[in-house]
Amino acid sequence: MTWPIVALLAAGVWAQRLVGMFAGARALERQPALGRLAALIPAAVVMAVIVQLTFVAGGSIRIDARLVGMVVAGVLVWRRAPFVVVVVAAATATALTRLL
Amino acid sequence: MDFSGPSGGRGGDHTVSMDDAPPRRIGPSRADLAALGLTFFALGVTVNVLVLDRVGDVGLTIGAALLINSATTELAYLAVRDAGGTQVAAIIAGWVVASRFGLLAVSLGARLEVGRLHRAAAGLQSFDPNVAVAIQQRTPRDVARVFWRVTAAMHAGWISGVLVGALLGNVIGDSQRFGLDALFPAALLAIIGNLLRQRSGATAAAVGGGLCLVLIPIAPAGVPIIASLVGAVVALRIPDRIESRAT
Repeated sequence: MTWPIVALLAAGVWAQRLVGMFAGARALERQPALGRLAALIPAAVVMAVIVQLTFVAGGSIRIDARLVGMVVAGVLVWRRAPFVVVVVAAATATALTRLL
Repeated sequence: MDFSGPSGGRGGDHTVSMDDAPPRRIGPSRADLAALGLTFFALGVTVNVLVLDRVGDVGLTIGAALLINSATTELAYLAVRDAGGTQVAAIIAGWVVASRFGLLAVSLGARLEVGRLHRAAAGLQSFDPNVAVAIQQRTPRDVARVFWRVTAAMHAGWISGVLVGALLGNVIGDSQRFGLDALFPAALLAIIGNLLRQRSGATAAAVGGGLCLVLIPIAPAGVPIIASLVGAVVALRIPDRIESRAT
C-alpha cells in the first residue's frame, strides 16, 4: 500500500457513500415504496458482513473458535442482554475456545 | 438489549400515541455508547496492527485508516495482494466491499430530513452500527440526532484504536489470542437484534446471510456482500404485524 493507492481506495469509498446518500434519496422521492426496501437493507447487508467475519479466514471458509463466540452472542442477543455483555462474552468465549 | 431506545422497534409489542408521549430518552444509553466505543477501539487496534505489519510505515497506516474510513476496504485490498492479486484487482476488491456503505447511505438518506451539507457529511460517515441504530428511530429529527451520537462514540473509539494499533503494533502482537476478532461481528449482531425480531427483518437477514455464505467459496471478494441485497428484496413480501408508518 502506498499513498496513491490510499487516495484511490479513499476516492472510491467516498464516492459510493455520496452517491448512495444523494441518488438514493432522490430515487426514494420518486418511488416512496422503495422506503421499505431501504429499511430492510441493513438487516440483510449487516448479516452478510457478520457471516463473512465469522466464517472467512484468508479468503476461504474456515470454521473456528469465532463460531463459538457468535453462538454465545446470538443467545445473549435473543435474551436481550445488554450490549456490553454480548460483546465481552463473545470475545471471552472465543478466546477460551482457542485455549482448549 | 435496548440499542434502539424506547422509540425504536417499529414492529414492537405496543403502540405509543404520538402526541402526548412522556419525555423519553432517545436512542442508545451512555453505557451502550461506551461499549460501542470500546468495540471500535478494539477493532481499530486489531486492524491497524495487521495493516502496519504489511505496510511497515506508521504514517501511512494512520493516514490510510483515517482517509479511507473503511477497515473492510483496507482488509480486502491487503487480502487480494496477499493472495497474489494485481493492484487493480486489489483496489476493485476494496471498492466493492465498501459498496455496503453506499447501500447503508441510501437507507439513512431515506430517513434524513436535513440540508445538503449535513446530508453529505452524514453520507460520508455511513457505517453499519450508526445507520442500523439511527433508522430504528421514529422521527427524522431523532434519526439525525441518534446517528451523530453513535457516530461520535464510534469514531472516538476507532481513532484512538488506530493510533494505539499503529504506534504500538509491534508490542501488542497477536490480537486473536484475546478473541478480539469475534468482537466486531458480535457487536453487529447486537445492533441488528431489534431488526431480527421483526419477521421481515429476520427474513432479510436469513436470506442475505445464507446467500453470502453460499457465495463465499465461489464468488470474488466483495460480491457475496452485495448479493445479500437479495435478502432485503425477498423480505419485502413478508408483512410485519404493525405497519405504523402509513405513506
